[in-house]
Amino acid sequence: MTQLRNVAIVSFAQLPVVARDEHRTAMEMLSPVVQAALAACGASRDDIDYQIAGSTDYMDGRPFGFVAALDAMGSWPPRHDNHFEMDAAFCAYYAWVRMQAGECDTALVVAHGKVSEGEPRRIMNLQLDPYYQAPLGLDPVASAALQASMVMARLQLSDRDLAEVAARNRCAGAKNPDNLVREAASPEQLAATPFVVDPLRAAYLPAIGETASCLVLAAEGKAERMCERPVWIHGAHHISELQSLGARDLSRSESTRLAAQRALAMAGLDRADQADLVELSAATPAEEWIVCEALGLDPRSSTPVLNPSGGPLCAHPIMNTGLIRLGEVFRQLSGQAGERAVPGAERAVAHATQGHCLQTNLVFVLGSQRRWS
Amino acid sequence: MKRAVAVVGVGQTHHASRRSDVNIPGLIREAVDRALLDAGLDHSDIDAVVLGKAPDMLEGVAQPEQFLVGALGAHLKPMLRVHTAGSVGATTAITAATHVASGLYERVLAVAFEKQSEGNAMWALSPNLPFTPPLVAGAGGFFAPYCRAYITRSKAPLHIGPLTVVNARENASRNEYAHLRERVTIEQVMETPMLWDPIRFGETCPSSDGAIALVLASEDLAKKGPRKPAWIKAGFSLAEAMWVPGRDQVSPRAGAECARLCYERAGITDPWNEIDTAEIYVPFSWFEAMWLENLGFCAEGEGWKAIDRGDTRFDGHLPINPSGGVLCTNPIGASGMIRLGEAALQVMGRAGEHQVEGAKVALGHAYGGGAQYFAMWIVSGEL
Repeated sequence: MTQLRNVAIVSFAQLPVVARDEHRTAMEMLSPVVQAALAACGASRDDIDYQIAGSTDYMDGRPFGFVAALDAMGSWPPRHDNHFEMDAAFCAYYAWVRMQAGECDTALVVAHGKVSEGEPRRIMNLQLDPYYQAPLGLDPVASAALQASMVMARLQLSDRDLAEVAARNRCAGAKNPDNLVREAASPEQLAATPFVVDPLRAAYLPAIGETASCLVLAAEGKAERMCERPVWIHGAHHISELQSLGARDLSRSESTRLAAQRALAMAGLDRADQADLVELSAATPAEEWIVCEALGLDPRSSTPVLNPSGGPLCAHPIMNTGLIRLGEVFRQLSGQAGERAVPGAERAVAHATQGHCLQTNLVFVLGSQRRWS
Repeated sequence: MKRAVAVVGVGQTHHASRRSDVNIPGLIREAVDRALLDAGLDHSDIDAVVLGKAPDMLEGVAQPEQFLVGALGAHLKPMLRVHTAGSVGATTAITAATHVASGLYERVLAVAFEKQSEGNAMWALSPNLPFTPPLVAGAGGFFAPYCRAYITRSKAPLHIGPLTVVNARENASRNEYAHLRERVTIEQVMETPMLWDPIRFGETCPSSDGAIALVLASEDLAKKGPRKPAWIKAGFSLAEAMWVPGRDQVSPRAGAECARLCYERAGITDPWNEIDTAEIYVPFSWFEAMWLENLGFCAEGEGWKAIDRGDTRFDGHLPINPSGGVLCTNPIGASGMIRLGEAALQVMGRAGEHQVEGAKVALGHAYGGGAQYFAMWIVSGEL
C-alpha cells in the first residue's frame, strides 16, 4: 500500500438540527456555518485551497440546488471546487484522496439539505430503480422494516433488543445540544411506541431534520498551525453494493465489512473494537445491529462507546448525517464534546451510509495522534 | 500530481433523441462495455467507479447511481457520484484521475450519462426559485443574454453563430456516434426559428440520450496496455460565485483561471500554436467564439475572427470540436466527458474519420451552472 500523507480534521461547525427552519433558506443556513468553521481554525477563505459540497437536488426540490452553495462558501475569486450528490462524508473522503494526490493542502467540506422543502419518504422512494422497485411504493421506512425483520430472524433479536439500542442512543443524545430529539428514554418507553411499519416502531426511526454543516481538513504541516488538537485520519474506505433488495442479504452489510477491513488496515489496526468510540450513521436500531456485526462490535457492550452523540435516532439531517459523525469524532478527540465527552478517547471510527438498507458504506478511522506506530 | 495518469480506454454510445432500444442501465452498459473492450480489460481490473450526470430531475430518479451499481460494475467496489451542472462529465473524469494519481487506486472507471428522453430537459432546467421572477425558459433562455452581450462587446457580425453550426455539422458528419450528422448551410440555419434572440433553433444543441466511459490507469499499467494511451498532462475544475458585482459572465474568471492553470502545468505558453485540437463545450453557437477568447486561444474580441477566417474548421489551424461537439450531440451529463474523451482519442490517433492529422496535444473543456463551473484537461500522446 502506498505511503499515506497525514491529514487531519482541524475544524467543524453545524447548526442545531431542527425539523423545519421557518426563517432561512438552505444558503442562509450554510453561510454562518462556513464562517464559524473558518473562524474556529483561524483560517481566512483564501487559506483554503479546495472546496467540496454534498447535497441532493431532489431534497432541495430544484435542479442545481448546490450552485447557490458557491456563494455561501465564498467562491470569489474562483475556487478549486467539486460537488457530490452524496452525504458530505463522501466529499470528505474525496478531499482526503486529493490530499493524497498532492493536489491540495486544505479543504472546506460542506453539507446542506433543507429536507422540509419536500417529503423525504416520497423522495427516497424515487431512489429505487424506476422499473421494478419504485412503483411498489416502497419508502425508506418500509425497506428498513424488511431489513429489520431479516436481521431479527437471523440473529434471533427481540423487540427488546431494538428498544435497548434505541434507548442507549436516546440517553446519550440528550446531552447533545445539536440534536433534534433531546429527551432520554427507557427501553420500556420506546417499546411502547406504535409500529410505523412492523417491526419498526416510531421510536426506532431516525429523527429527520435539517441543518448545515462544515468540516475543515488540513494536511500535516498546516493542520498543527490551524488547530491545537487536530484529529488525524488514519484510514478511510467505502464500498457499494447492488441496490436491488432481493439481490443482497439485507441482514448483513458486506460493504461495511470490506470498507472497515481496508480502512483499519491503513490505520494499522486489526479490529474496530480497538477504538475508544464509534459514531455510526445507522438509521434504525436494526441497522445498528447490522453495522456493528460488520465492524465486529457488540451493540450491547460499553466499549467502545457507541454513538456518544446520540446518532441518527436523535438527529438525521439528510446529506449531513455522515459528515456530522466525523464532526462528532473531531469534537470528542479534540476535547470539545462538553458534557458528553468520552474520557480519554484517542481513537475513533466514523461511519456514513447512502441508499436504502445500507447500500453504500464509508468507514473512517481517526486518532488524536498522527500515527500510532 | 503525485504520479502520471493516462486514459487507456474510451467507449461511448451512439447518441440519439430517443434511445428507446435500451433502458438507463442498458445505455450505461453500452458505454462501459465498449470502454473496457477498448482497454482490453475486464470489470475485475477496475478498482473504483466514479459516475457523473446532470440534474436527477432529467430522468426522474433521485440519486440514480444507487440503482445503477450493477450496470456500472461497481458491486463491492467504491463508487462516487459527481454533479457539477453542465461541467459534470469533465469534473467526473478529473475526479477519477485524481483517484489514480493518489496512489490509492490503479485503475478507475469514469462514467457519465444522460437519458433525456425519459423527461423534459427544457423544463427540468427551468427552475422556479423563491423570490425570483420565472423568466428562465431552459438553458437557452438563461444564456441568450450572455451571447447578446458578447456580440455587442466584440461587434461580431451576425453570421458567426450560424457559421459555427455549419462547421460543427460538417465535423459531425464524419463522427459515427454523433446525434445530428446532416450538413447544413448558413442560409438553412438562418431560416430556423429564433428561440431566444440571438439563438435560433438551428444554433441550439439537441437533447440526446447517451453515455460515455473512460478507463484511467496509473503510469505502469498504462504502459503495459494494448494501445497507446493518452497521458493527462493537467486537469482542473474551478467554480465561481453567481452574485458577485462585476463578475464577467461573457468571459468568466473561473474559466480563464482554469485554462491558465492547465497550460502552466502542461508547460504550454502559447496555446494557439502548441495545442493541436480542442473539444470545447459549445451548447449554443456563440459560445465557441466566447470560449476561444476565455481559453486564451484568441485575444479579447478576436474569437469570432478566427471562426470567420476558417481557422477553427477541421482543416484549419486549430480544429475546434472535430467530433461535432455539443451542438451536434448533447446528453447533458455526459457532454463534458465526451469532450475529454474525444480529446484523448485525438492524441491516441484513434478518432477515426474525424482524426485531426498529427494531433499530439489536445484540450478537453466543459462548463456549467450560470457559466460558473469550468473543468478541463490537456492530454498528450507523449508522457
